[in-house]
Amino acid sequence: METTNRNLKREIKDKLADDVLRGALARFGEAYPIARAKAYENVDDIEALRDSLKEMKQATVANIEAVADQFEAQSVKRGAKVFRAKDGPALKEYLLALCKDKNVKRIVKSKSMASEEIHLNHDLAAAGIHVKETDLGEWIISLAGHKPSHMVMPAIHLSRHQVADYFSKELNQDIPADIPFMVQTSRKALRDEFLQADMGISGANFGIAENGAIGLVTNEGNARLVTTMPRIHVVIIGYEKLIPTIKDTVPILRSLPRNATAQMLTSYVSMISGPVPTMVKKDGQWVEEDKELHIILFDNGRLKAAKDEKFQQIYQCVRCASCLNVCPVYQLVGGHVYGHIYAGGIGAILTAFLNSMGDFEAFNELCIGCRKCTTICPGKIDIPGLIEELRTRAVKEHGLPFAVKTVFENVISNRKLFHSLLRVASLGQKPFQSGDFIRHLPLFMAGLTKDRSLPAIADAPLRDRVNKITKKLAAPAKKVAFFSGCNIDFVFPETGESVYKVLQDLNIQVVFPEDQGCCGKPVIGMGDAETTKKIARRNIAAFEEADVDCVIAACPSCTETLHVTYAELLKDDPQWAERAKNFGHKVREFSQFVAEEYEKAGRLTGQSAGGTKVTMHDSCHMKRVLEIHEEPRKLLENAEGYELVEMKDCDKCCGMAGAFGIKYAELSAPILKQKVQNIKDSGAQVVAVGCPACMMQIGGGLDKQAPEIKVKHIADILAEGIKDDAKK
Amino acid sequence: MKKVCENWEQAISAEIWDPSLFDEFELRAKNAAAEVFRVKTAFEAQEVLRNLIQYTNAKKVVAVESPLQQAAGITAAIRQMGVEIYTDLTDIAAQAETADLGISGVEFAVAETGSVCQDAYAVESRLVSTLTPIHVVFLNSRNIVKGIADAIGIVSQVYDRGYISFITGPSRTADIERVLTIGVHGPSRFIIIAIDEQVGGVA
Repeated sequence: METTNRNLKREIKDKLADDVLRGALARFGEAYPIARAKAYENVDDIEALRDSLKEMKQATVANIEAVADQFEAQSVKRGAKVFRAKDGPALKEYLLALCKDKNVKRIVKSKSMASEEIHLNHDLAAAGIHVKETDLGEWIISLAGHKPSHMVMPAIHLSRHQVADYFSKELNQDIPADIPFMVQTSRKALRDEFLQADMGISGANFGIAENGAIGLVTNEGNARLVTTMPRIHVVIIGYEKLIPTIKDTVPILRSLPRNATAQMLTSYVSMISGPVPTMVKKDGQWVEEDKELHIILFDNGRLKAAKDEKFQQIYQCVRCASCLNVCPVYQLVGGHVYGHIYAGGIGAILTAFLNSMGDFEAFNELCIGCRKCTTICPGKIDIPGLIEELRTRAVKEHGLPFAVKTVFENVISNRKLFHSLLRVASLGQKPFQSGDFIRHLPLFMAGLTKDRSLPAIADAPLRDRVNKITKKLAAPAKKVAFFSGCNIDFVFPETGESVYKVLQDLNIQVVFPEDQGCCGKPVIGMGDAETTKKIARRNIAAFEEADVDCVIAACPSCTETLHVTYAELLKDDPQWAERAKNFGHKVREFSQFVAEEYEKAGRLTGQSAGGTKVTMHDSCHMKRVLEIHEEPRKLLENAEGYELVEMKDCDKCCGMAGAFGIKYAELSAPILKQKVQNIKDSGAQVVAVGCPACMMQIGGGLDKQAPEIKVKHIADILAEGIKDDAKK
Repeated sequence: MKKVCENWEQAISAEIWDPSLFDEFELRAKNAAAEVFRVKTAFEAQEVLRNLIQYTNAKKVVAVESPLQQAAGITAAIRQMGVEIYTDLTDIAAQAETADLGISGVEFAVAETGSVCQDAYAVESRLVSTLTPIHVVFLNSRNIVKGIADAIGIVSQVYDRGYISFITGPSRTADIERVLTIGVHGPSRFIIIAIDEQVGGVA
């Protein structure tokens, strides 16, 4: 077993310097979305397909014991032997006993992530058995002594030259780094292995309860050989692969190849039910004989997940690895850093259940919660949500590190103390030089660290300016309260002023409940649910007093927290559940709210006035949590003096992602660099954002790479078009 | 010879048949690097195969005989060319590994993905389609269903036990630097001969 003593910072540093890896992952990141889209060109309704996969898997996991019983009964009825292995040691004991009993000396394997999960090959080899991986990628990494760095392309981190070196060493001859030649070399080298093996071990992409069949979705043809040539076939299948009926293979077969390798179907899809005939040589004669079929139904944490209301979702995973393919962090460091055995976001979750919480905690912070994966996962798994839930559980179990706990419990949740510290900070005094302390504060505190040049804390926060900018309207159409969030309050108070200007221009009365404070996002992001609840109660009470029609926030992360998270956190609190729900209903995101009001007022003509080119950066939470992306564009299309142009990957994370941008600045920087490049390439002179955190991050990047381009909050752009009146 | 189903034709409902599906199937199959020859008669199929053997310089063939192949007189035609051909189970077992070309029948095809469905319960069907560098299949060109859902609908009617394979193009890998390379452990050429003529004995 691996130790959990990983030095993630050093691992990141190494991988960022690995040009082979960086190049391979960057090229793949570019090519994948295009290839995938092409593979889906003849699927009418992708969302319906995703829903059908999700619903089929949900129905199955709800009934997993019965499905497993049926699968076992049907397999046994057709002559298979079924063994249920509760964990790795149990599986190995069974398998090694079987090998001994059947005099198995040689084994060929086709791909099985479950066997990787428990380092099975190591134990087989230790027992003196000759074991060969036959999937090309798996063979390569077995020669290299590596773990898979991707679930579908295990050797994506290696170059042809590195592969040629491993081949040369293994085969004791000089193998040139010519890919077709190396592929042919592997065919020749492994052919005898298939012919001589006593046992073939395969994984399974699905197991059908109806008739006990297992399914293999593959490309190379090695799985057909592994399941055909040797006299014994052992299948290692996790419970999550079980499905009730043959027809339930449809959503898997239609989505797995398209998502995994951008194929409409892989070269081979095989289903095997019961022992099938093979040819064995007896006394020099070929004789037909039924194979022995052993199915190992593997638990190792899977049944625990099945019973967990939230983590049942992992049964919706078909191991397509598409979540890695679109992950900005995976694209930088690959699966050896962002992973344990299973890589990426889904890998983090699987690691927690199939390996250990310690292994999970070693790398889970690399999920930046950008939610790009949730748009592509064929089983619609809320990967970032589950990772956040695991963090919460980890915190519940053994608490937060002392410094973080101190900040959360005593500073952020104490509004007055927190705000006075911010004021002190704005005077240029720097009480928080300890990096450990700072990085768990809301992210603008990073401005105080030495190695970043982020915007400074404003001289006067918004809360000190509201009296001056509040208009008393004679007959307001609506009354709203503004939730500024820390960023707008203390770093970008001018944006807060713009919000006021835009809303008041719509004849809307704006109030600022004084007792509001941090929404709690950085706290819940670290898994501290209890402190977040405290924060939630304070904010809810502050806004109830204001007695308004709506609560407006101009930060999507705050909006999400107020709108969704509070009600979820307080749902079991009899005194607060209803209040949190009512409060949540009132919360509206600024640009969406204004677009609606403009629409009503006939101010959205849809005509671009022309002028300064502006491009829209969609913040992750705005686009993929609040699902707001059209409204800001409508506003920009109509903004006086602007012309909207689109940039490449407009909805890709800017790299800030809360505490991540500070704690993992080395990863945040290349993500930001690409974002700035895309902005430059669009030809825009202004980049519009709806999120103050993105504004801070992109602003910092533009300063260094393209100072001629400005970042502006949508509120600021709209406010520019409103003529100042005498009061201002 | 073991089969998952003795009468696939019955399961492949005539109602599903739509002549326009062939074009879609051919496009998708070719996109997956399969080679597709459509012929009107069984005799033309024999010609296609003879040419193929000639051009590939195949010296040894292993074949699982399907009714379509029998109607096309494939075995005799190949033998006449002076090429070794093995059709018995034990011969196939002994010769497949060194054969240049394998032949088998397939039950139906899927337009959505360009795939064919092989009843692979019999070990000889698997040997001729896994070990040889070239795999040729015979398909009744009417037996094409629209999508994966239709294909699985058919399978679910007949599949109780045994081995079924959907084959889509040749064996492939992209495991080294994501460069698509055709022909790893399975055949590097996958050739579909689709015959329009409805052969008696198939039904």
